[in-house]
Amino acid sequence: MTSEQKKCFVCGKEPLTKDEIGIVRKLIDKKTTQFYCLACLAEYFEVSEEELLAKIEEFKNEGCTLFK
Amino acid sequence: MKQFIYADNAATTQLSKAALDAMMPWMLSEYGNASQPYSFARKPKKALMDARAAIADCINAQPDEIFFTSGGTESDNWVIKGSAFSDAQKRATITSAFEHHAILHSCYAIERLGYPVAYLMPTEAGLITTKKLQTIISDTTRLVSIMYANNEIGSIQPIKELCEVAHSHGALFHTDAVQAVGHVKIDVQELGVDMLSASAHKFNGPKGIGFLYIRKGTTISPYSDGGAQEMSHRAGTENITAIVGMAAALIENCNAMEEHIDKAHRLEKCLLDGLCAAHVTFSRNGGDNILPGLLSLSFPGADGEAILHRMDLSGICISTGSACNSESTEISHVLRAIRLEESLAKGTIRIALGKNNSEDDVDRIVQALVRIAG
Repeated sequence: MTSEQKKCFVCGKEPLTKDEIGIVRKLIDKKTTQFYCLACLAEYFEVSEEELLAKIEEFKNEGCTLFK
Repeated sequence: MKQFIYADNAATTQLSKAALDAMMPWMLSEYGNASQPYSFARKPKKALMDARAAIADCINAQPDEIFFTSGGTESDNWVIKGSAFSDAQKRATITSAFEHHAILHSCYAIERLGYPVAYLMPTEAGLITTKKLQTIISDTTRLVSIMYANNEIGSIQPIKELCEVAHSHGALFHTDAVQAVGHVKIDVQELGVDMLSASAHKFNGPKGIGFLYIRKGTTISPYSDGGAQEMSHRAGTENITAIVGMAAALIENCNAMEEHIDKAHRLEKCLLDGLCAAHVTFSRNGGDNILPGLLSLSFPGADGEAILHRMDLSGICISTGSACNSESTEISHVLRAIRLEESLAKGTIRIALGKNNSEDDVDRIVQALVRIAG
């Protein structure tokens, strides 16, 4: 399945963005096959979407390739 | 609103109020240069002298054996390079493979200049044994440098015994005690060490200041050339503000040390009991003699970096022994040195509880860990 074809297993949103796929891999499991959209991931972690976006920015600035 | 919990006290600590109060006058009104002969320099000169004496007293040293530096990294660099460059005959250095990078990278630097360095491997419990040192030390060894307590796993080394081995071969002994000073009793006479590094921000003092203890009679090249500060061994105008703050923080911690150690052990027990009660599978690294409050925990099959970031999203600051490098996970040199199984190493985190942590903090840490790593 390519990154464009991945969908949120909670709400079914698709396609997921590279950032949504990257943050799930980074915070849950690099080899996961189960993905969340940003809103559902925020709900799962009980944090705001802004907090996740801030994390994504940090990871990307550090050069993490999971977001490429 | 999320409650913020700081549990990374091995990385740095919060500045104490006593240190801040002691520093304030030196930041604005008492700005004189302690090296000047006029009366305006009298107060900073005295503050410098008092701080040196107070710090010496905390580790049972003499005031003129305390040399102020910019912190642990500078102290470690000075020891490794200054020691190597001071003796043309005895050129060899022995250290351990799981030292802080301030020691390791300094050793790599002198190796590039042709000085031989040997790296001792710790046991799986994180100990450097005298037996290992005995097999490698020779009469050409100039310096043995072994950290007092490891910064990642907290294992406390048999410094007195290692020091005796070094001395029996005519070598100097240095210990990087950055993680230990202000947290456990340090007596340089009892230990017998020739040099000891410390950093203020690890014991609730300000950042950018530390000291190197150098036993009287020890030959070491100066760190920097210039003025006559620090007995002509470390040139540069003294940072009186930071030095005064460091002394205040160290005095405060040493005066309450027993109380802090008891509290740290109590909190550690709460945390470990909490994880066990929730049936979380984990192991603790570092053997039996560990710095109070420091817990290196491995969760099999977990991702330490993911745990760190999810704890962060829960408002909790901890550290990890592994870092994600794209698709792979980089395991720290410390966890590699103790030969921790890869599935455990990847799932290793460090929780460093300090004097400002409470039982409520520990309860929340346990709840978060059960949710994330359980």
